[in-house]
Amino acid sequence: MSRLSFRPRPLDIHKKLPILKSIKDFEDDDTPSATRTQMLRLVAEADNEAQVPQAASKKTASEIPTPEYVIVDTYERDYSATFNQPTSYLRARGARAEIGEFIEYDLDNEDEDWLEEYNKEGKILPAEKVETIIFKLEVLDHKAREKAGVITPTLGAPIPVLLTFDAAVEALQALSIQYGVFQAIYNYWKEKRQRWQKPVLRRLQPPPPATDTNPYNVFRPREKAHRLHTRRMQRRENSVQSFEKLRQVRRNLEQAKNLLEAVIRREEKKRDVIDIEVILQRTQMKYKNETELLEDSLALPGLPSYMSKFAPSEDEFFDSDAYAAQNQAIMDSRYVLPSGGGIKREFRRQPVQSSWLHKLDPLEPLLLFTKPLDPAKLAAAGIVPPAASSLQNTMASRSFHPRGRIGRGGRIIFDRWNPFMHTPIDSGDSFYMPPKPQQPRINHSHY
Amino acid sequence: MVLEVGTRVLCRWRDGKHHPVKVIERRRLNSGDYEYYVHYTEFNRRLDEWVRLEQLDLDSVENDVDEKVEDKVTGLKMTRHQKRKIDETHVEGHEELDPASLREHEEFTKVKNIATIELGRYQIETWYFSPFPPEYNDSSNLYFCEFCLNFMKRKEQLQRHMKKCDLKHPPGDEIYRSGTLSMFEVDGKKNKVYAQNLCYLAKLFLDHKTLYYDVDLFLFYVLCECDERGCHMVGYFSKEKQSEESYNLACILTLPPYQRKGYGKFLIAFSYELSKKEGKVGTPERPLSDLGLLSYRGYWTRVLLDILKKHKGNISIKELSDMTAIRAEDILATLQALELIQYRKGQHVICADPKVLDRHLKAAGRGGLEVDVSKLIWTPYKEQG
Repeated sequence: MSRLSFRPRPLDIHKKLPILKSIKDFEDDDTPSATRTQMLRLVAEADNEAQVPQAASKKTASEIPTPEYVIVDTYERDYSATFNQPTSYLRARGARAEIGEFIEYDLDNEDEDWLEEYNKEGKILPAEKVETIIFKLEVLDHKAREKAGVITPTLGAPIPVLLTFDAAVEALQALSIQYGVFQAIYNYWKEKRQRWQKPVLRRLQPPPPATDTNPYNVFRPREKAHRLHTRRMQRRENSVQSFEKLRQVRRNLEQAKNLLEAVIRREEKKRDVIDIEVILQRTQMKYKNETELLEDSLALPGLPSYMSKFAPSEDEFFDSDAYAAQNQAIMDSRYVLPSGGGIKREFRRQPVQSSWLHKLDPLEPLLLFTKPLDPAKLAAAGIVPPAASSLQNTMASRSFHPRGRIGRGGRIIFDRWNPFMHTPIDSGDSFYMPPKPQQPRINHSHY
Repeated sequence: MVLEVGTRVLCRWRDGKHHPVKVIERRRLNSGDYEYYVHYTEFNRRLDEWVRLEQLDLDSVENDVDEKVEDKVTGLKMTRHQKRKIDETHVEGHEELDPASLREHEEFTKVKNIATIELGRYQIETWYFSPFPPEYNDSSNLYFCEFCLNFMKRKEQLQRHMKKCDLKHPPGDEIYRSGTLSMFEVDGKKNKVYAQNLCYLAKLFLDHKTLYYDVDLFLFYVLCECDERGCHMVGYFSKEKQSEESYNLACILTLPPYQRKGYGKFLIAFSYELSKKEGKVGTPERPLSDLGLLSYRGYWTRVLLDILKKHKGNISIKELSDMTAIRAEDILATLQALELIQYRKGQHVICADPKVLDRHLKAAGRGGLEVDVSKLIWTPYKEQG
């Protein structure tokens, strides 16, 4: 195949390549002749159905030898036809070794030879029995070594037998073997172990160490270092340390849970408080607006009905914006006062209502959601209310109770200015009423 | 007469004709005569075997003179022995190994230890050395239990074993069943002895397989034909539980009595179906054997060309990779080997003339047994903590 004179750019695997379905796609453009002839050749070969060698392989299938095999004549006899395939897919049931009942050991050549010799001398000992006994001896010896703590993960020093004859006799009593027979098998096995220097049951033989370079030794455990590449989860161990750590984690989580639950309860209570305050203020406003309601609920027999004089004519004061609404509330609040004042005497039995109504000063900015300041706490915190301004020196003699309140965000605010009357709060010509008990003033200027 | 190791001579092969051999080993029999382990230089090492003196044509013993020759292909000058070594390396398919590994590999595996095995219904000649435990070195025949793959040195031992062995299928989960064909997934860690047995067995037929490290980090997918006697292994492939090089297959083997029936192609296709389910692109572990490379080329050709025949419009290599789970480099190598990627008017194009494609498809051979994805019940392996 002749090469073009320029080298093509390397192929980008992400780039979409056009698929050309026929030779005509090549003929239309000024394709370099080399490519054209190549395509023509390929198609021509396709038409002629000539053999094309596969570019990269050096052999075809026919050169690779087929291995020889023959049928085993005893197969049908050795393998019984007792397999029932279930309709659902088969599931693994765990290695037979773990289930524990299967006799994993098979007699090898020297075992069979020994048994043959042994059986010549008298009673025939079945091979299966020898197999069972050797298997159980191996397992018992492994357990003995485990208890002694001498199990090595890889094959290092020779592995001696730790299982004593007496221990074996006791453990395998259930097998009901004649003492002499058992002794013979035990001794044979022990001698074999001494020659082998390792367990005879393959599953119990430790693998060669990872550092062993003998190519004939196989199945070395892979070094731990390899696992660093894998996720940490796979290196998790199950030890006392990790158990204690997990316990601690659990305690911490429980404490965090309790904390969070307490926080939730506190926040719920705070929300409830606010809800109740809102309800409170709404009710306050409602009662300001609906004096009749108040009169009905609060009037007692025998009280002069002052309220009728001060029936609100709301139309006069109607205004659409909130400020006006608040104003109206303030204006209307006056109406309540007389009755409040009047009723107050009667209402000593109901201090809650009276202290409410106390707050309803006409020109007092209606601060619906504020809390009164506690002077004792203020003093404890070392907060001194601001003194009167020097501008109002005429008022200096006047005892000044600073208008303090808790404002938005819990800020402590001392008001100096009445935003509605545009007067300083403590000036004499304002109708300032401190929230604390004082006689409410009645403003008749609107009549 | 006694021949030395390294002698080159003609030997009568099973076809009755004489072929050149090199003596690799010799051993003395009880009778005092010698047997010679010979390598047929024209053939793959699979066919190495022990022969008797009478099979050798003693007149043809070579004089060992090492002359300088020139290799016609490369023009390099070298000695005759060196040239012969290179030619023989090509016959083996060992090109991917560097010289040091190759020497080491040959040194350690030069003599087959087991000549035949019995596995279920068949007695099979082996191809390669396999590192069985040393106590098995004195036996040239091994008898395998068909289901648990335990191996024994005498037939009676196997027959006794079969009376107690209750396993009728590989010890794993069945993840696929279609007709009489079943696939089992075996975890090397959970079934260590079975997995090791399988590796010993497979090594007899695989040249480059290594058993250096243990089986814990592998999964074994064992393909079986099922009948009233059980699920009989016909082939398998192994796969790393976590591969850093995104290998989706480590070793693959169809047992000799079942070769050339489409099982190998099935195994390859199956490995890609698993990759698709994992959502990952995959590729077989290198080096590929000669048979392996042929099979993979055939699979890649069939899958890719089928898509190209039907696809309308443009397509990128990456899209092909996403559709098939075949690695982009393998796709590229396949298309380039088939001369289907051309450079025209400043860009690469894919030639998909139906006639050309059909010819390639024919040369690639038939597909193997089909994988019916609807019958695959499997979730990707997850390491347990």
